Amino acid sequence: MAFTMRAVKVPPNSASMAEARHRVFDFFRDACRAIPSIMEIYNLDDVVTPAQLRASISQQIRKNQGVSDPKVIDMLLFNGMEELNNITEHAKQRHHIIGQYVVGHKGLVQDLEKDQGSSEFLKKFYTSNY
Amino acid sequence: MCLVEVEKSPKPVASCAMPALPGMKIKTNTPIAKKAREGVMEFLLMNHPLDCPICDQGGECDLQDQSMAFGADRGRFTDMKRSVVDKNLGPLVKTVMTRCIQCTRCVRFASEVAGVQDLGMLGRGSGEEIGTYVGKLMTSELSGNVIDICPVGALTSKPFAFKARNWEMKGTETIDVTDAVGSNIRVDSRGPEVMRIVPRLNEDINEEWISDKTRFCYDGLKRQRLNDPMIRGPDGRFKAVTWRDAIAVVAEVLNQVKPEEITGVAGKLSDAESMMALKDFINKMGSDKVLCEGNGPNPPADIRSNYLMNTSIAGLEKADVFLLVGTQPRVEAAMVNARIQKTVRATQAKVGYIGPPADFNYDTWHLGTGPDTLVEIAEGRHPFCSILKSAKNPVIIAGAGLFEREDQGAVFSTIETVAKKFNVTRPDWNGLNVLLLHAAQAAALDLGLVANPTESVKSAKFLYLMGADDVNLDNLPADAFVVYQGHHGDKAVYRANVILPSSAFSEKEGTYENTEGCTQWTIPAVPTVGDARDDWKIVRALSEVAGAPLPYDSVAAVRSRISMVAPNLVRVDEREPSVISAEVKPPVKQQVSPAPFKAAVENFYMTDAITRASKIMAQCSATLLKK
Ligand code: SF4
Ligand code: FES
Repeated sequence: MAFTMRAVKVPPNSASMAEARHRVFDFFRDACRAIPSIMEIYNLDDVVTPAQLRASISQQIRKNQGVSDPKVIDMLLFNGMEELNNITEHAKQRHHIIGQYVVGHKGLVQDLEKDQGSSEFLKKFYTSNY
Repeated sequence: MCLVEVEKSPKPVASCAMPALPGMKIKTNTPIAKKAREGVMEFLLMNHPLDCPICDQGGECDLQDQSMAFGADRGRFTDMKRSVVDKNLGPLVKTVMTRCIQCTRCVRFASEVAGVQDLGMLGRGSGEEIGTYVGKLMTSELSGNVIDICPVGALTSKPFAFKARNWEMKGTETIDVTDAVGSNIRVDSRGPEVMRIVPRLNEDINEEWISDKTRFCYDGLKRQRLNDPMIRGPDGRFKAVTWRDAIAVVAEVLNQVKPEEITGVAGKLSDAESMMALKDFINKMGSDKVLCEGNGPNPPADIRSNYLMNTSIAGLEKADVFLLVGTQPRVEAAMVNARIQKTVRATQAKVGYIGPPADFNYDTWHLGTGPDTLVEIAEGRHPFCSILKSAKNPVIIAGAGLFEREDQGAVFSTIETVAKKFNVTRPDWNGLNVLLLHAAQAAALDLGLVANPTESVKSAKFLYLMGADDVNLDNLPADAFVVYQGHHGDKAVYRANVILPSSAFSEKEGTYENTEGCTQWTIPAVPTVGDARDDWKIVRALSEVAGAPLPYDSVAAVRSRISMVAPNLVRVDEREPSVISAEVKPPVKQQVSPAPFKAAVENFYMTDAITRASKIMAQCSATLLKK
């Protein structure tokens, strides 16, 4: 994906935790600003609202809230920017977006949570005969 | 093909007809022998069409093989070939009579093994034809076997015509479950589809034949299948749901009913694993009402010799007098009948029969229709007694249809009196046999699924039918909750509240015990249909959700549980003879009722869920059973 590489400049490392934190907010703002165009290019109006997408983005960020090393935060931010770029450049397809951000990672297997506490046998039984 | 060259002999000699003499010099691979064989091959092919590419026998054709091995590499034949009108042998056997090479194997099979004089040779010389003399159909329950023995493509399978080539199919060696014989079969499948069923040699059980029901029931495996768990909605229609939901619903109902209102019924096609799981599960829920259909109100499950074929199927050949009580082996177990007919043919054994008028393919003496004839024999008042008395190895075969009778205890004790009186059971010969009807029956009796069906069904609020379609549900309370676990949408589905789809015998690994007490396994040939699961797994899963988990998670674990209850069921391909004799039985005080014996099987071609779903079997019942 050469064009992505061009589009994402690698910024210099954050000097301090405060700077890293600031960059995260910048990134979040960028992502939120991109939401209307994402909604449009992927035709998401009938499956999701901008607010839900925003929540999904913040959820992704919060997943890493325990990270305290600015270098790691920089790396995660870079991954996030790359992902955002891919999305806004339409390098993905509609079902990718729906699968990852609308339905969520556990989307189609959400039922599994109900099996908590049941035996291995039962879990296997529900998935297939073999 | 057997021509060889013998030194100092002017012509090649047929090795099969020439005794070998001392000092004879035989050459098998000389140009003269080869040329002679080519000549024979040319004669064989003179009137044989060269249509192998459109012939169903192609690839497994003896003539094709022979001509590849011995034939010439070019033809010299320029004349017209003869052609023969095709005969109609019924819905099972397709004929292309031009291909016939007049080997008369089919004629011999029909008269010697099937015991029907339907096929014969018409005309002589180049006008010779195989046919049923007056345009009859071939009405034998073994007619499908002529397909296997015809060396060429003259007799082929009608349902299988142009469906597949033999080299594109995968063969799985398994056993048949449509009757209690457990014939050894090979299931040929292509991808997920069973294409045909052919016999496998087992001298002790089916020799090399199988019945038409076994051979042609396979299209029933593709029809009427249940492939999703379903729940009946308030509007009376079934709705497909996930396994999780279906099992949750069943478990919830299960936990609301009283333990003694729970009843489990295993069907006639159930394997031992699933019956074990069902029994353990129902017992864990606090009920002892587990039964297997066809075993009657009070099955004689305590002593194995009371429900098995004690002489063994192959052992029937030693018998010289048969007494059939309330059984029509021809429709109940065609392979056992073939054994009897073989014995009768070979040794002129006498056969006496008590039961409703029935069709036999050997000479029988119809002694009577009801138990009174049996009592007469027991008291020595019947002319058949003299025959029984003079017999060396007499055999009594009682049908499992008798289990359903109210007076079965009395009938069986009368049979035992007869047996004792005429030396049918002695230390070196146990000729007292029971011929079972269903594949599941013997294992069910071994495992102790012996509740009384009428009472259990009457009091049931929760009825678990594991493939049981033939239980009488008339007395079932209207508010009872019925779970049907099975592979076909058959009779019982009309009453079911929840359907749990399971796999058929061609799709699962299961243990079956046949009527002579031989334990055999089925091997999965094709994947399960849709979202179906193996029977025992469903019961196991349900038990966990219902809060009484069964302690086994794998087939091996189920089998080790089975070995605690009935160790003979884990010794595969072995016949476990029963050791205790019937002597230890308590005396029976019941009176025999005068009601005549009934036929246990009305329609040979349709006896269970698979055969009832089969179109071929329906055609057979329509054309071949016409009176
Ligand atoms: S077995 Fe086949 S080839 Fe032989 S006589 Fe019968 S039809 Fe003809
Ligand atoms: S292939 Fe030999 S008869 Fe058809």
